[in-house]
Amino acid sequence: MIISLAGWLENLGLFAFIRSNGYAYPILLALHLTFISFFGVMILVTDIRLLGWGLRSQPVSDIIDQLRWPKRIGFLFVATMGFLLFGAKAEEYLHNRFFQLKLLLFTAIAIHALVFRPRVYNNANELDGAKSIPGQAKLAGAVSIFLWVSVACAGRGIGYLAAPFGLHYDRTVGVSAPAADIVAVHNTAVHNIGGERQEAQVARGNGHAH
Amino acid sequence: MLIENPLNSSIYAFPVLECFHIVGFTLSVGTIALVDLRLLGIGMNHQTPAELADDMRFWTMGGLTLMLVSGLLLFSSDPDMYYLNMAFVLKMVFLVTGIIFNYTLRQKAVLPGASPGLGKLAACISLFLWSGVLFGGIYIGFIMEGLSFSNL
Repeated sequence: MIISLAGWLENLGLFAFIRSNGYAYPILLALHLTFISFFGVMILVTDIRLLGWGLRSQPVSDIIDQLRWPKRIGFLFVATMGFLLFGAKAEEYLHNRFFQLKLLLFTAIAIHALVFRPRVYNNANELDGAKSIPGQAKLAGAVSIFLWVSVACAGRGIGYLAAPFGLHYDRTVGVSAPAADIVAVHNTAVHNIGGERQEAQVARGNGHAH
Repeated sequence: MLIENPLNSSIYAFPVLECFHIVGFTLSVGTIALVDLRLLGIGMNHQTPAELADDMRFWTMGGLTLMLVSGLLLFSSDPDMYYLNMAFVLKMVFLVTGIIFNYTLRQKAVLPGASPGLGKLAACISLFLWSGVLFGGIYIGFIMEGLSFSNL
């Protein structure tokens, strides 16, 4: 059901275009990454403040409240790029273990928000008055850093897995590895200097490049 | 006769280093962008640009270090592929310009009393340079045969 929905999605005009156009996919990926840098860091900065690792002369509420909207807008940018990238190869991504891990991590992030938002993030004024930052707020910051860094790493991992057998298209690097195997083209190419350059370049940057 | 780089003996080394690279540039480029956005009047407006830049200095430097060390190791896995790759060369141009700009002109632009107009200009230049670094980085993996120096 979900797979057939993914098949429908990726055959929509917009996503077919992203898939077939040589520029669209890398540009979207670069924008995805640029927005992650510009806005993802706001999450890290908030967590750094909660942990007391930096910005100690600024009130906690100042950091949390001022970055709340930029973070939301940034997330919208990053997620939009992410969805466009996903849609282009929806069926393939749904089979990808790292993509599945990434979805699982987002679920954990939602739980983190449910648990800590009322206690920490919406309660920043109280943190300003406290002599030292309570353990609960530090825990929220530490778990947040762990989850978001894991999301980034899982995202990078997506590019290293080959598509499973039996799909009706073949857009991945020509590697006949089982779905769960890391594409090892990268290593073999190193021993083949002057030979399959293109193969090495594609495997390095993105296993799922065309 | 090739001298083996130990990094190439494990298929995990490259992707794991890339993860460190991502965290490194998110911290460095991100904290620089945070100050740039402040110069443009977006976010963190209760702090002055100088205050924010001062608070971010350590994290920018830490991120840059992590990014450069992991980047050098990634580069070492196949240097001649990289320096023949036009996206990589452009990325290096943006990176060197970005680092020099950050520690010279933009450092002046965040000082108290600096002209807000010049601050905004510096912020735009900085955001452009660092976006260039990230785009170059992505394009290394996507670059087409015709764009590579080896085919010129």
